[in-house]
Amino acid sequence: MIQKKICMLGAFAVGKTSLVRRFVESIFSETYHTTVGVKIDRKTLQLNATEINLVLWDLYGDDDFQKIRWSHFQGAYGYLLVADGTRRSTLEKALLLEERARQEIGSVPFVFVINKSDLAKDWELDAQVEAQLQAKKWTVLRSSAKTGEGVEEAFAELTRKMLV
Amino acid sequence: MSAIALQFLRELGFVLLQHKDHGRFVLLSPPPPWLLELWGAYDVNGGEIRIVEKSPFLENFLFEADTFWQSGKTGLCQSEMWIEKSVSGKEIALAAIALESGGKRLLALHSPESQFHERQQLLQTARNSLLDHEKLQREIQKKEILLHCIIHDLSQPLSVMSVALDCMIGEQISDRGQGLLDLGRKASDQQCLMIRDILQVFAADLQASMDAESKPGSAPDLLACASSVLNAFVPVYAAKGVQLRINDSAKQRSDWRVRGQGRRLERIFSNLLENALRYSPPGSTVTIGLEEQGEFLKAYVDDEGPGLPADMTPAQIFALFSKGKESGGKAGLGLYFCRLTVERWGGIISCESRPERGSRFWFQLPGVSAEVERTPQAAESQPPPNRVPLIKRPMRVLLADDQNEIRLLTAHQLERNGHHVVAVANGQEALDALQKESFDVALLDEDMPLMTGLQALKAIREREDKFSALIVIALTGYNSEPDRQRLLHAGFDSVIGKPFRLDALEALLQGAAESVSAAPTVAPRAVVKSPWEIVLDRVAGDEQLARKMVLTFLRETPPRMAGIQKALTKKSGARLASFAHALKGSVSIFDAHGARECAEKLQDLGRANSFTEATGLYSQLKEEIAHLEENLRGYAGRRRPREPGASSKNQRRSSKPKPKQP
Repeated sequence: MIQKKICMLGAFAVGKTSLVRRFVESIFSETYHTTVGVKIDRKTLQLNATEINLVLWDLYGDDDFQKIRWSHFQGAYGYLLVADGTRRSTLEKALLLEERARQEIGSVPFVFVINKSDLAKDWELDAQVEAQLQAKKWTVLRSSAKTGEGVEEAFAELTRKMLV
Repeated sequence: MSAIALQFLRELGFVLLQHKDHGRFVLLSPPPPWLLELWGAYDVNGGEIRIVEKSPFLENFLFEADTFWQSGKTGLCQSEMWIEKSVSGKEIALAAIALESGGKRLLALHSPESQFHERQQLLQTARNSLLDHEKLQREIQKKEILLHCIIHDLSQPLSVMSVALDCMIGEQISDRGQGLLDLGRKASDQQCLMIRDILQVFAADLQASMDAESKPGSAPDLLACASSVLNAFVPVYAAKGVQLRINDSAKQRSDWRVRGQGRRLERIFSNLLENALRYSPPGSTVTIGLEEQGEFLKAYVDDEGPGLPADMTPAQIFALFSKGKESGGKAGLGLYFCRLTVERWGGIISCESRPERGSRFWFQLPGVSAEVERTPQAAESQPPPNRVPLIKRPMRVLLADDQNEIRLLTAHQLERNGHHVVAVANGQEALDALQKESFDVALLDEDMPLMTGLQALKAIREREDKFSALIVIALTGYNSEPDRQRLLHAGFDSVIGKPFRLDALEALLQGAAESVSAAPTVAPRAVVKSPWEIVLDRVAGDEQLARKMVLTFLRETPPRMAGIQKALTKKSGARLASFAHALKGSVSIFDAHGARECAEKLQDLGRANSFTEATGLYSQLKEEIAHLEENLRGYAGRRRPREPGASSKNQRRSSKPKPKQP
């Protein structure tokens, strides 16, 4: 079976752990539990006729308290870049992290996920920036770990990109 | 490694593995329970362990460990903590240490549960605080907008309703209509009180916020705030392919401190940059610039987008819930927040299309040097009282308010009470009016477009030589005591809170007028003039207008007198006060002091719901009015009546009816 390592990257409290839990266990919790260090999970994904064992590295959110160690990306085939649609500052952080990732690990497939799409009334991100990123050939998806919207699609899309 | 050392490590919860080759390890100490749970007893006790098959994290860590072992360095190479799931699904916190001892490459593993939980608790608290802070910032913005809505957007229409109802007093309306009018006035009074109560709840917050904003040491720097926001925005701009820069004009000076508060100022820049990005095409540049504007410092954000919509004024763009047409923002609150914040700090905000292309959004705020000079004085001195000095005669009033209805109705009522009124829509128009003619009183709304009341006041105070006698009164929606003090400190002679009742305004003006009689500085009237001469003086000799005023008086007085009589019969204090108040205003036009005094006393009795002396006063008032009507009746027609012995030619001021003898 093919095994692929995927990292979760983004600011703190954007829902990286929740996305993984929803994807792996179909569970969602409203309570925010910050991630310390790295959490490793596995999930087997059936893509067309291929079975892929995904090893999911849920990294802590990058901030002043915990800085990302790029050595964690060693052997990663791709990453999910996550922002919180209700906090504009997390988009800024995601864009900075993507730039850093390019410098540190080179051009690796990624999918940009704007999470918390269930909180539409608190949405802070500009749709134009979203469109502009798509124009730059980024894969931009909206997701909700709470409702499950876009979660499977995000991981599947990233896997597809990694297999190319 | 000695048995003692191994036992010691075991007691500490560590398990020691020795590196053989190609990721193979052997256990040097018995496996602790957590390791058995994680990897299974069979695998652990089976001799060699292939780490790469057991733990993806350790597989990764081995790269770091290998580098460390090969370097020959002493000390330790520690991993971060990580979490892996056991066979049973339990999450186990782990940490690894690579070391070298006696030429052996060793790997110590442990499960630092308590350390992990402590760290998690610490980070959880810190990040929760950060999230709370972000949320609080958003809530503060919402609350400030809500407060402004209450202060300005609810008070303004209420003022109109209130003034309109006041203006109906004395009109000929049925008893049922009068009842409905009283009901409306009562409801509008209640709503005024409710608004004041709401503001009272926020008074402490407002005070704290103003204190923070007025401390000289805490004045924010325009350039520092712009730079901080620019750094945060660069990646978002880059994502859209738009360049963001600060131009060289910022180097003009080193000190760009302005009145305000740092966080809010950053929010203003942030909102303006968000707005600029929304309309900027890829490949274009957005430029932040700074300029000196006298005592003000100006900041602008230039974009290269399509420019402002042709059918929208700056006032509309900065209005509540305003959104652009092509690529709307969120709720239309951002620019509105900018406006209310800048204006609160005594600044101006606006926007314009640039001649070349794109638009410029700009604001200017008072530089801090002027503020530093002013603030300590303000902090040390007691709040000044209202400073309305003595004014003679019915006044020449300049009224500046951006709201049409307020202008119309207030002017109407003031004129009805005998004052001469010029009404304008903003501070600049007020200054223009002051250049053209002289006034006794200027009523300036604090919150007006183009030029605020505060800015107009500043210009007036700078021309002290010309306007020393002018009394400047602030009309403001900010009704709290700190706001009143702020405006008095700023130099207003008095402050009237909105929504205001016309009788409150009139009371202030009349109170000032009453002081005149006791003032030794005011020259006594040399010649006793007739009511006709007085009214003619008041309208600068315009006979036609004077006749209109007389006619209006003669037409409106009988129903008012009847209203007073009816109110006395029915013992209705409110009606008595209303009719007496209206009459007081109208007789003031003719300087009919006796009648005015009676009417005022009746008004006071009405308000106190006291009728014991009222009947006697009414008789006295009736007599005074009868004499006044007699004096005026001949002047109500189209043409002035010919005096016995007078020439047939018009004599503008020589003829007068026989005045009433005291």
